[in-house]
Amino acid sequence: MLGLRHRQLSDAAAPAPAAARVVEADTISRRFGERVALAGVSLAVDGGRIEALLGPNGAGKTTLVRILTGLVKPDTGTARVLGVDTWDCPRDLRAQMGLVPSGDRSLYLRISGLENLIFFGRLHGMPKRRARDRAWELLELVDLADAARLRSGFYSHGMQKRLSIARALLTQPRVLLIDEATHDLDPEAAARMRDLVRRLADEGAAVVWATQRIEEIRGFCDRVTLLREGHVAFQGTVSQLIAVAAPRRYVLRLRNGRATGADLEPLLRAAVGNGTTIAAADEGDPEDYVLHLGDDVVLGTALAALTAGGVEVLGCREEVSEIENAYLNLARGKQ
Amino acid sequence: MTTLAGELRKLPAFVRRDFLVAWSYRLPFITDWIGLAFQAFVFYFIGLMVDPSKLPTFGGQQTTYLEFVAVGIAISAFMTLALGRVSAGIQQEQLAGTLESLLMTPTSPATVQLGAVFYDLLYVPLRTAVFLVVIALAFGLDFYASGVVPALVVLVVFIPFVWGLGIASAGATLTFRRGSGAVGLGVTVLVLFSGAYYPLDLLPSWIATLAEFNPITVAVDGMREPLLGGTGWDGVGKAVAVLLPLAAVSLVVGAVAFRSALRRERRRGTLGLY
Repeated sequence: MLGLRHRQLSDAAAPAPAAARVVEADTISRRFGERVALAGVSLAVDGGRIEALLGPNGAGKTTLVRILTGLVKPDTGTARVLGVDTWDCPRDLRAQMGLVPSGDRSLYLRISGLENLIFFGRLHGMPKRRARDRAWELLELVDLADAARLRSGFYSHGMQKRLSIARALLTQPRVLLIDEATHDLDPEAAARMRDLVRRLADEGAAVVWATQRIEEIRGFCDRVTLLREGHVAFQGTVSQLIAVAAPRRYVLRLRNGRATGADLEPLLRAAVGNGTTIAAADEGDPEDYVLHLGDDVVLGTALAALTAGGVEVLGCREEVSEIENAYLNLARGKQ
Repeated sequence: MTTLAGELRKLPAFVRRDFLVAWSYRLPFITDWIGLAFQAFVFYFIGLMVDPSKLPTFGGQQTTYLEFVAVGIAISAFMTLALGRVSAGIQQEQLAGTLESLLMTPTSPATVQLGAVFYDLLYVPLRTAVFLVVIALAFGLDFYASGVVPALVVLVVFIPFVWGLGIASAGATLTFRRGSGAVGLGVTVLVLFSGAYYPLDLLPSWIATLAEFNPITVAVDGMREPLLGGTGWDGVGKAVAVLLPLAAVSLVVGAVAFRSALRRERRRGTLGLY
């Protein structure tokens, strides 16, 4: 009665060098009734890379992750992991994939975190002792060793998410699909989680990191695919994403020793010249001004002009981060 | 073969998980047994009113009503409980949100389905056997010791029949989300016309004739003959001969229905929804 059909992974799925293409989605479309969840989305992730799957709620991130795991069939297009169509979802392939689902209902809440990991470890074919040892290793890794014997139903959302991540790592997977991993985590725990995932990527794993937290992708993800209403709104590196941010606005803290506030404004306008504007900030300190750079003006030039005009620049920060600006523009359909 | 062995090695993990879950609900665990004891008392007092000469004989032996009904209760309770739990096993995973996590492991859908109910497939027959032993000791029932093993064989052959029905209804539940009511109604009708609680002779003759083909009737009579009539293996052959092909058909139909339902849900992308 037990399913004996056990398809082997193709040669393409054999251990590959870290840089090999591991995850591929080719013009994937998927509808749920009348609603278009994905429309011709393509994606490629190499081993050792972290791809941010970015987008607001309902953009299609979770659907794409579920298609990549083989849990949902695309209407058109193909999803391949390690060279294998995920819809065929051979068991060998599942052993190579770790999924952290977006919800917190994927664990057995009546049993302990330790027992959850042992159970899933054994479903991955580990002998009992090995499953137990691996479970302890992972509980240490995600800082849950102290709560190992506590029913996972008593865990906070953040703890359940960490347990879910530990489960995804049971087999040291070559592909990690992570859906809103840091959604319920405090900043420190989220940073620790990103460090952990970065380390796994550095060891060769291909990571798809679905998130709507724009601020976490800088310095963490290698590339970004931004989805908007099921379409790819942007695809490229994080730097390229930042480069599409416009307009560029900065909050400056300025002083020249003679005048402040409105009295200083004419002097500042004269210093920054055409195309660039500066005005007292609506909120905050009287010494705060919002600098709006013109298309061809770089920040250094504007600051140099201010300094040359006898203005002390005490501080400078992005009004809204460039990356957030880019995200908001793209997610809203502006560019 | 390696795959099959590997899959079978996963079953104890399911048993441990479900025991821990069941143990975490201690009260229902205990009240189940208390309810069973009360049921035995009810039938004991009903039995005091029933004239044994109205009951059928087994192996030429006259029985008391409590002896007669104890086997019926055991089988019908087994059927109800096992079928209910088998069909609800996958539903529970779906409700809890764990089904997709299971299917993300390198475990075959058949193992997932079997694993979801394996604890119950062990626990429910054990509960049935313990019930029969306890009721026999408590009320001084005259079961033939030589009939225990043949009766267990009938029970063992009956298990895959129930399991097959259970996985078919689990498939229906995956597809329609609701199905336990229909399963319960079906089981009630089968038990009602099985002779578990009263002799089939009391039914209209055409229903009694049809009831002879009811698998529960076959299983109940197949267990009563050796336990109450002391017929040893003589009465078992017929029951096994009828139940075995039924079990095979039930399992194949159930497995096909379940796999089809699972594939359909994956295709629709609604596997995790309930």
